[in-house]
Amino acid sequence: MEIAENRNENIVILSLVGRLDSNTSDDLEIRILSRIDEGERKFIIDCSYLDYISSSGLRVLLLGAKKLNNIGGHILLSSLQAQIKEVFECAGFTSLFKMFNSKQEAINYLNNPH
Amino acid sequence: MSKQIYIELKNDLSEINRLSTKLNDFAEANNLSPKILFALNLSLEEVITNVISYGFEDDKEHQILVHINSIEGEISVEIEDDGKPFNPLQVDEPDLTIPLEERPIGGLGIHLIRNYMDDLEYKRDGYRNILKMKKKSNTN
Repeated sequence: MEIAENRNENIVILSLVGRLDSNTSDDLEIRILSRIDEGERKFIIDCSYLDYISSSGLRVLLLGAKKLNNIGGHILLSSLQAQIKEVFECAGFTSLFKMFNSKQEAINYLNNPH
Repeated sequence: MSKQIYIELKNDLSEINRLSTKLNDFAEANNLSPKILFALNLSLEEVITNVISYGFEDDKEHQILVHINSIEGEISVEIEDDGKPFNPLQVDEPDLTIPLEERPIGGLGIHLIRNYMDDLEYKRDGYRNILKMKKKSNTN
């Protein structure tokens, strides 16, 4: 898996490419936790090019969401492929994460007060 | 092309990569749909990650044996390891309605396997765990 990192003002956008599995989830965990430590509070995980996720990947996203929730931060997901969305549904994660059809919709959501 | 494959994996998480390559080859040889391939990838990874992460109490190298066969619209998977006894069928179902603050981290792997596979069977044979999983492959 590759993680491409971009930024839109105060939003960290992590675009995942490939497989988020037990062999690669540590990379994402380290990236999210270190950005939180640096003071970042708004994250978008762009899944356009993510073609596989297992419970190890779900674990890291939940860990990030819980940490951010405690400190008034947000982690949103965008552009999930059908098979990835199915895993989220199966794991009961659709009630825990806000999901958007595009990165831009997620950015708009974070930029508008709600 | 043979319809079945045998894979020997070491107890190292980097082996998940090699496993997925082998599964791609198997799916191609057997004309399996992307959906079936995804289910195989997910279920095998969950089982093998569990074995590698929690199955062994020493630091030695262990072999995990995987046999996958495709017969008459059904994929059968057999995973054998010499780790401590662990019957995934006895793991409780997670509560998926717990809100974010109290949602436990982890415990979803077995739940995913139950949902992505059609049949699971476990036995302890001497010092080995043997898990059999089946997936119907003639539905899309």
